[in-house]
Amino acid sequence: MAKQNLHKTFHEIIEQHKGLLFKVARTYCGNEEDRQDLIQEIRIQIWKSLPKYDANFAITTWLYRISINVAISFYRKNSIRHQYAKAEMLPLVIDPLPNDLQEKFNLLEKFIAELNEMDKALIMLYLEDKSYLDISEIMGISVSNVGTKMGRIKEKLKKRFLNHKEN
Amino acid sequence: MNDTDLKYLWQTGNNQIAINQKSDKSSLDKLTKRNVSHFLSSMKPIKIFTLLAGLLWVLGIGYVLIKLTIIAYDQVSPYFLYSAFFQVMLTAMAVIIYIIQLSTLYSIDFNKPVVILQKTLINLKASTLNVTKILILQLPFWTTFYWNESMFKNGTLPLFILQGAVTISFTCLAIWLFFNLKYENADKWWFKLLLQGKEWEPLITSIGILNDMEEGGVKSDKD
Repeated sequence: MAKQNLHKTFHEIIEQHKGLLFKVARTYCGNEEDRQDLIQEIRIQIWKSLPKYDANFAITTWLYRISINVAISFYRKNSIRHQYAKAEMLPLVIDPLPNDLQEKFNLLEKFIAELNEMDKALIMLYLEDKSYLDISEIMGISVSNVGTKMGRIKEKLKKRFLNHKEN
Repeated sequence: MNDTDLKYLWQTGNNQIAINQKSDKSSLDKLTKRNVSHFLSSMKPIKIFTLLAGLLWVLGIGYVLIKLTIIAYDQVSPYFLYSAFFQVMLTAMAVIIYIIQLSTLYSIDFNKPVVILQKTLINLKASTLNVTKILILQLPFWTTFYWNESMFKNGTLPLFILQGAVTISFTCLAIWLFFNLKYENADKWWFKLLLQGKEWEPLITSIGILNDMEEGGVKSDKD
């Protein structure tokens, strides 16, 4: 791929899939500054990996692999602040939810934040409506293993909602 | 709350957020130019210093040792020469392993299935212990380089006992640490004392999580 084409493809991918990057960052980082750093880190890895992109793979599978891998490594380092330009992807609330729904959404995010680094990825992919086969491709575990793990995680989340309701 | 509710909640919650992305050519240029600087900035200054100091030490002392061997082999104490030789060899090995690990880490392909790549990253990080283990093997040589023939001819029994105790204990300590310095022992006080245990805690947690992920089955070509 010529450099000019590479730049163009990169911009198109980032533009089309900025929501994906942002959701991964939101799942792994609690505060806005860390999220911006993480998104920047993911963009760098996408740029570096772009020449090696295999068109036989769905673009989202490829993007999820890179984004989650970077997010987990970043998360493990426990949010390192870099001295370079931020990703400049700024979230805007355009259509606020009704209060009760917003509260439930906040709780869901809170409960997901309590999960370990791998379970976070699994549940995020599931909530993004990815099939078990897609999740297995992204994560590198068997489809049956995805099913078992997902069952446990969903149970955990449901219990957390139930406990919260009772309290 | 059932599965459909969870998915609905996630999607509605995320749909309310639009991402205002300011992405232009100049930001891409910044992104591509900072690869190398990012690599260096991600290293702690103390690690860069250690690497440079190690390189200088190996090159400097190595050069002096080669010169001494060539021009003054008969005049130099063999204890000094061989101790220094092994010390420099071990330092050189550690520096080479460290550079290989860093370059592998830098060139790693993030487009790998998550469990596989994370396992590779963790193993790479855990293998940095090998550098420390090799450096620790130098310990006994720091207790032998000052030996000389006059010491053996004129030395007293207490001196021999003291010297023997120091060398034997350093040798035992080096061998013991070489075999016991592994991430499974990261919670031990001596490990924390030597290697800042806090850095290893998230790694050990991750190893547990990854093992748990793999227990249910990894993806094969048949899947």
